[in-house]
Amino acid sequence: MLALYRLMLYLYPAAYRGEYGEEMLEVLSQVHTEIRSTSALDRAACAAREAGGLLCGALHEHLRPFRGAHVRGRFSFLFLGGRVAMRSEFRFPKATVGLMLVILAAVMFTIEKAKAISASIPHGNPPVGHILPAQITILPMLLVALASAIGAGVIGWAILFALRRSGIQQLSEMNPSADERSAK
Amino acid sequence: MELSEPVLLILLSLAEQPRHGYAILQDTERMSDGRVRLSTGTLYGALSRLLEDKWIERFKEQDRSRGRQAYRLTDEGRRNLQTEVSRLKHLARLGALRVASKET
Repeated sequence: MLALYRLMLYLYPAAYRGEYGEEMLEVLSQVHTEIRSTSALDRAACAAREAGGLLCGALHEHLRPFRGAHVRGRFSFLFLGGRVAMRSEFRFPKATVGLMLVILAAVMFTIEKAKAISASIPHGNPPVGHILPAQITILPMLLVALASAIGAGVIGWAILFALRRSGIQQLSEMNPSADERSAK
Repeated sequence: MELSEPVLLILLSLAEQPRHGYAILQDTERMSDGRVRLSTGTLYGALSRLLEDKWIERFKEQDRSRGRQAYRLTDEGRRNLQTEVSRLKHLARLGALRVASKET
């Protein structure tokens, strides 16, 4: 279980992992030792709680650039009635805004096209043949759902990663004076 | 400023004495009679933000082994906690009065 927790710590941003990773692993190790003598059900509940906490924590740390810089904004998941706000130093890249506009235009165009097609089809229900029972089993459906969830997660993660690495953050990581020194 | 119960319990745990991560987990569970069981991820999410806002600070222990970092409340954190406790006292007093008046 500790090996899994160790792997899950890699879901956190590198800076956060560097600062708290070792401490968290120590605490997880102590929790693991404590529950060793409990029932299998308690161990499973504890493992689920810890794994869920690590997943939520990692997601939250990746979403932090989108949160407000003021106290209430930073604590919005911990304070009651908190709100999500953009950090003042974060800006969407212009390409993202353009892409969103293109997607919006495509959606509007598709809706209009669908309305036109719907209007051109004569009303009345066409004759439908005998409906056969669906030949779908639960296992393939679960696999498809799992694959879809993983795919959506990977895409979301990639978008977040791309946003975090874009624009002003990359500029903030640059050190012109160091570059100049190295050029000399 | 309203604090969630987990954060309030973490601050109350550190108000008594400096504690490291595992001790905070145990103390919050004890204070809430087993009702609040924080995960390690949740605990460190809260600790990192409390550190950033200087409500708590790292406490340097002489015999600190690697991976066991203790934390303690700062003066600002203690003031904020006192304000929150006063707010809760007022709320509890008001709640008791209102519930009693409804019953009579």
